[in-house]
Amino acid sequence: MTAQFPGGGTLTGTLSLQERPGGLCAVTFSAMASPCEVLVDIGDRALALQLAGLVAQEAWRIEQKYSRYRDDSVVAWIHGRRGSPCVVDAETAALLDFAWQCFEMSEGMFDITSGILRRAWKFDGSDRVPDQATVTQLLSSIGLDKVRWESSELLLPAGMELDFGGIGKEYAVDRAYDILAACCRHPFLINLGGDLRANRPPSSGTWRVGIERPDSDRSAAMLLDLEHGALATSGDSHRFLLKDSIRYSHILDPRTGWPVANAPRSVTVAASSCTEAGLLATLAMLHGDGARDFLEEQGARHWILQ
Amino acid sequence: MRVRTSLIALAVGSVLLAGCSSVGVKPWQRDILSRSDMRPDGAGLDDAIDEHLYFSKEASSGGRSFGGGGCGCN
Amino acid sequence: MQLKSQPAVLRRRLIAASCALLTTSATRSQEAPEGGFVGRLLKEWQLESALAYYHENGRVQAIEPVVSASHDYDDGGNVSFNFTFDSLSGSSPNGALPSRAAQTFASPSAQSFATARRLYNVAPGNLPADPHYSDARAAFGGSWTLPLERLTRVTLGGKLSIEDDFYSGTFNAAIAHDFNDKNTTLSFGISDEADVIKPIGNTPVPLSNYAAFDKEGNKSKNGVAALLGLTQVMNRYWLAQLNVTADRFSGYLNDPYKIVSVLDAGGNTTGYIYENRPEVRTRRSVYLENRVGGARASAGLSLRYMTDTWGIRSQTAQVNLRWWAAGRQQYIEPTVRWYHQTAADFFQPWLPNTTAPATQFISADSRLANFHALTYGVKYGFDLSDKLHRGGIRAHRTRRVLSADTQHQHCDAGLAAGTRSVSEPEGRPGAVRLQLLGA
Repeated sequence: MTAQFPGGGTLTGTLSLQERPGGLCAVTFSAMASPCEVLVDIGDRALALQLAGLVAQEAWRIEQKYSRYRDDSVVAWIHGRRGSPCVVDAETAALLDFAWQCFEMSEGMFDITSGILRRAWKFDGSDRVPDQATVTQLLSSIGLDKVRWESSELLLPAGMELDFGGIGKEYAVDRAYDILAACCRHPFLINLGGDLRANRPPSSGTWRVGIERPDSDRSAAMLLDLEHGALATSGDSHRFLLKDSIRYSHILDPRTGWPVANAPRSVTVAASSCTEAGLLATLAMLHGDGARDFLEEQGARHWILQ
Repeated sequence: MRVRTSLIALAVGSVLLAGCSSVGVKPWQRDILSRSDMRPDGAGLDDAIDEHLYFSKEASSGGRSFGGGGCGCN
Repeated sequence: MQLKSQPAVLRRRLIAASCALLTTSATRSQEAPEGGFVGRLLKEWQLESALAYYHENGRVQAIEPVVSASHDYDDGGNVSFNFTFDSLSGSSPNGALPSRAAQTFASPSAQSFATARRLYNVAPGNLPADPHYSDARAAFGGSWTLPLERLTRVTLGGKLSIEDDFYSGTFNAAIAHDFNDKNTTLSFGISDEADVIKPIGNTPVPLSNYAAFDKEGNKSKNGVAALLGLTQVMNRYWLAQLNVTADRFSGYLNDPYKIVSVLDAGGNTTGYIYENRPEVRTRRSVYLENRVGGARASAGLSLRYMTDTWGIRSQTAQVNLRWWAAGRQQYIEPTVRWYHQTAADFFQPWLPNTTAPATQFISADSRLANFHALTYGVKYGFDLSDKLHRGGIRAHRTRRVLSADTQHQHCDAGLAAGTRSVSEPEGRPGAVRLQLLGA
């Protein structure tokens, strides 16, 4: 069963429904360049499709608004006004406040201005590692403390960029969750590209979640049982550089411009919201071999794959 | 005499502060320092109970924070 | 059990920040919050409780439950409250010396020996102590920290304490500023305390004859204190803190229940007078603390030196060592503390009856004597498997020994008349403090 749904802006997409074991309806679609699905423990397939439609609409809305690849996004609009103050809407203001607080509490480890590092680092499996001079030059345009952000007015200096990619997907999961939770009494699970959140356990007892192992040609995925709450995974599979037998993961430290040494291959964190879980997973990866200690200190349930 | 002691204290204090600027760690090296047992106020209630007991049996109090006891046990 | 629901500071800020992000301009979820009101309370507030049981040599015992609640804001601010209830009972020394003859005292509420409802007799050679001593205290405190800007914080706090015979209110304010990449923190604080003393049976006239039961009205005292602190990260494993404090108390600084024995040339007790202390006391202290840690262990060393205008100088040193078992779920932490103080200028265990007290300051309170104390203890802590709660249990024992000098002074009275030498009870080993930290 498929349906066409108009997205929040100009994005549209296709939703497909399948039946899964245990009487679950699974509706899949594509958003944010990732496979997404909504699982609902319900018999009424038309209703399942409708509920999933709400999720897809919200995911496409956020993708269109915050994707750095789109010319009609808020991010492109901000970049067009570099060097002069611009007033942003309430949702963007809330995201900027959140990004600023994360920047402070992580002492610079989490930084939404670090996206320009991709100009030096192209993780295509080759051995083209940039030289120090290139990286150092990019560092002068990185640092959220160089951006002036005061009560809805943003001033982005020339040469700098904002990238919400680090929190966009998790934020979309939480937004979509709030929308569904307001109208759906049935157990459901929202999964946007591996970041997921469920409201309550299905009739079978738990949601069976599989975390892909980094070298996917190895054994089957790691299985977790989720009753409710959120899971976010940060991983480096398929995106790396290999030079002189050193593997450079795609997790870059914004303070040095270089990949984090000895980062785990995959970190999964459970928390009550996807935004929280996602940020903890990202910060854990940035701690490199200190990932486990960091997550234990924060008291977060986690699974680390090396 | 009092003035000289104060001046010495001020001089020592300034040297300490100036020297402090070259000592320290980068933000990403704070893993161990952020643990509760590494912070002076990390033991919370335990320390408060200890302070109260020592205050009631000794002539000194405070140091880590204010010295007043706020109770009639001394 | 000391149960704390405690994700670490960063995570608490992150939870608060995520909540703020997800509830702005969105349809709020109508799903009931997990666990209802209590569940929400437990998530947002960090609750901690402890129960301390103190026992001293079969003499005094105290039970003190404490609870505290703390909430972190996403901007780094914090508000916290604590409540303490303190209950003491047992027998408390009144400052008089043991004597060859039996002694009789009246409890503080008495107005004369004839009308006293409660007298207590002390056998020859025993240390006079009021066996009916009991006191209950309730105290409530709060503090609020708010960030002024990224590197500066202001903290305001207050405390209120109420007992039968003592009322106290304290207010404090402090400001802290970070620099050198947050490696150095400078803080400055002031505090003001105002106390009202309403002794049971009214305040005795200082230096008056105990048997005369001369009483006067209620008293008060006031204290101001200032603290200057420097905290410095030395390296990845070592943090140091240096604090300099000064305080000045003025007003009624006596202990209204303490007396001093008056002895004749033969060492017999001829009477007692109420003690008297100066009306002003200024103290200064320097405190240094070091914390050193590695992956599985950490150590703390602190030193304190204090002087005051009563002639007391004290030195304190404390060491704790913490070892975690593999897996960092449990730890054991032995502690040792050494304390020494010199006597106040006016400390005198007894007074010869030939001296006219007049305007002299005198006190036989052993807390103003020259003594040293050694405390040793151990604490065991563990994490519950849900990783959200922690528990702990600890036990300490303190041994206080009066200086040889003071013990001799006690003896002088006795030697002249042939009684055996004595020492204060706090000087005997056995002040045991068993603290059960509870939820």
